[in-house]
Amino acid sequence: MEVTPETVAAAVHGFSAVRGHGTLPNLLAFGRALKQLGVKISLGQVIDSSRSMDLVDIAEKEDFRALLRANLISQKEDFPVFDMAFDCFWREQGYERVPMETLDIQGTPTESQAQEGGDEEGLEEAFAETPAQESVELENLDELSIPTYSAQELLNRKDFSEMSVEESRAIARAILLIATKIATQISRRKKHARKGAMVDPRWTMRKNIKYGGDIVDLVNRKRRIKKTKVVLLCDVSGSMDCYSRFLIQFMYGLQNELWGVETFVFSTSLSRITHLIRTKDIGNALEQISGSILGWSGGTNIGRSLQTFNRNFAPAMVTSRTIVVIISDGWDRGDVSLLERQMQDLKRRCKKVIWLNPLLASENYEPLCKGMQAALPYIDLFLSVHNLNSLVALGHTLQKMVA
Amino acid sequence: MTGSNSKITYSEAGVNPKQLTIDEVQEILLKEQYVCDRSLATVVYLSLAMGKPLLLEGEAGVGKTEIAKVLAKVLNAKLIRLQCYEGLDANTALYEWNYPKQMLRIKLEEVQKGDKRVVETEIFNQDYLLKRPLLEAIISEDENPPVLLIDEIDRADVEFEAFLLEVLSDFQITIPEIGTIQAKHRPYVFLTSNRTREIHDALKRRCLYHWIEYPTFEKEYEIISTKFPEVAPNMAKQICAFMQRVREMNFYKRPGVAETLDWATALIALNRKGLDDNTVVETMGCVFKYREDLHHLREQIEGKQLNLDALLRSSPELRS
Repeated sequence: MEVTPETVAAAVHGFSAVRGHGTLPNLLAFGRALKQLGVKISLGQVIDSSRSMDLVDIAEKEDFRALLRANLISQKEDFPVFDMAFDCFWREQGYERVPMETLDIQGTPTESQAQEGGDEEGLEEAFAETPAQESVELENLDELSIPTYSAQELLNRKDFSEMSVEESRAIARAILLIATKIATQISRRKKHARKGAMVDPRWTMRKNIKYGGDIVDLVNRKRRIKKTKVVLLCDVSGSMDCYSRFLIQFMYGLQNELWGVETFVFSTSLSRITHLIRTKDIGNALEQISGSILGWSGGTNIGRSLQTFNRNFAPAMVTSRTIVVIISDGWDRGDVSLLERQMQDLKRRCKKVIWLNPLLASENYEPLCKGMQAALPYIDLFLSVHNLNSLVALGHTLQKMVA
Repeated sequence: MTGSNSKITYSEAGVNPKQLTIDEVQEILLKEQYVCDRSLATVVYLSLAMGKPLLLEGEAGVGKTEIAKVLAKVLNAKLIRLQCYEGLDANTALYEWNYPKQMLRIKLEEVQKGDKRVVETEIFNQDYLLKRPLLEAIISEDENPPVLLIDEIDRADVEFEAFLLEVLSDFQITIPEIGTIQAKHRPYVFLTSNRTREIHDALKRRCLYHWIEYPTFEKEYEIISTKFPEVAPNMAKQICAFMQRVREMNFYKRPGVAETLDWATALIALNRKGLDDNTVVETMGCVFKYREDLHHLREQIEGKQLNLDALLRSSPELRS
């Protein structure tokens, strides 16, 4: 999470008025400030911090920092935010109020803040809200929702109304229906797979104790359901974004039956949008994505986007059971050899790479462009997704892979 | 390694973890050749003092598992290890009735015409219980609470995490036939994760958290000279400078401290006093485990992009 010192200072200042005397009110205020900055914190963690306060000498600033960090933060991505907020909040030894008069909190976000927006949540709201007036109540803290990001990221803002509204609604509904149908088919297949498995001797004995140890009932070993995870990498540059949009909708409908769907969009750079889709209904989420993602419908650099993915996300998300679905026309403006290397890397990590290319639908299409050619050797399945039928076909293909 | 546990004996009496200071934690770990920086020592200290589980994350081979092992040793506590894997379930982690033994008992009583009710109660006592790591940690009667190491929690399924949450919040286990067993002394719990997936927030909230970074040049040097005093200072510096450099480079799998130590062991066995291009290429199997990475490294060395002499010259000056 990228946060500027200004946004942190503002969030901290917002809660400075509710700081009181004593440890707990201060910790609560600090916790709320962090929460405002998008860090997930529970009341329990704050209380535990306060309980452990007498375990270290809080005059030792670094020990105190380690204490709060271990208690309040649970992923390393939040360390930078924490450190900044910590320095800002506990600027003075003891619990004196931080002199904030010097900060211009009424001002609008500066340009640099607007630009670093990206997929951050809550930073903008840190200015809008005036939490200083609220009183600190313990119950409130857990309910404090993280304000949603409403970025005014105007760069290359794409207007969805270009499509006929009726049309896209009808398709969206159809997509959801089909996805649900396929999803239930998947779970039914799993049920059948459970039967006819091997006998489990241990449980057979357990069950037959009531018959004095004579084997009457056999117990079958249940086959563990191994759910597959899908990672979706969607090209949203130029003509690709309407296809990507329907694909995301489709995968979203399927995701309950999968281990989970991680969704990324890329053009010149890569952004993770899973959290946006999770918290909103799909229409709103996509609306928001097109508003907030830098370079939506701009040029494409597939190689670099894949590199970002491989470096930052793949180690945590991609295992030998993950299916990676890429949707792109393969027109790459970047370094083709980089694309090839990254495809090779990706292929090695995951179970299957599916590449969806809408252009494949036209009969004359041959994957001649350099990017597509570089990627082809590392693709397990090369499919088209240009209409509803091809989406259904994709669903069935996935179904076979998952079952 | 799966689900197994081992008892490490320690000749001296264990230290009382509640009475340690941060400095002492650092010191006793160092005595067992575990070099840790102050922030890690603070977190370990807090975990011991608060009795709160500690979740350690970091790249592979930075010493996440090792710290639990070393702690068990210095506290003179039993180390109970639960190695997580996909499909790990409550039966393997908690307890299971020893059905074959129960069955034999029943058969025996049938022959001897024993009292049915007596048998019924007897086959459900602790003698017929197979204790898996979690139960073992809770049921332990040792004076020193055991160290419970739940290794690579990210490999277990999400369902198991939910189950673990229950155990870690109350430190009690209910067995229908016996009743609820409450831990006499809370075990010291360490969880490690390689981050192949995110751990659920609910579990994270129950734990203190620390991310172990790759060591700095100085720290890595300290680790080598602590573990292998026989390595010449100059070569130790070379090794560290080399490792620091390759971690910045674009390899598929970046090497951790475990690899550094393997490499140092190999170099000692080969009786080398310093690094040169040939030595590096010959022994690189200790550091890189992928063909592409080995290939990439050879290219870098042959192309002089990775120059050992230059590396050593540019390596930071060591304090003392």
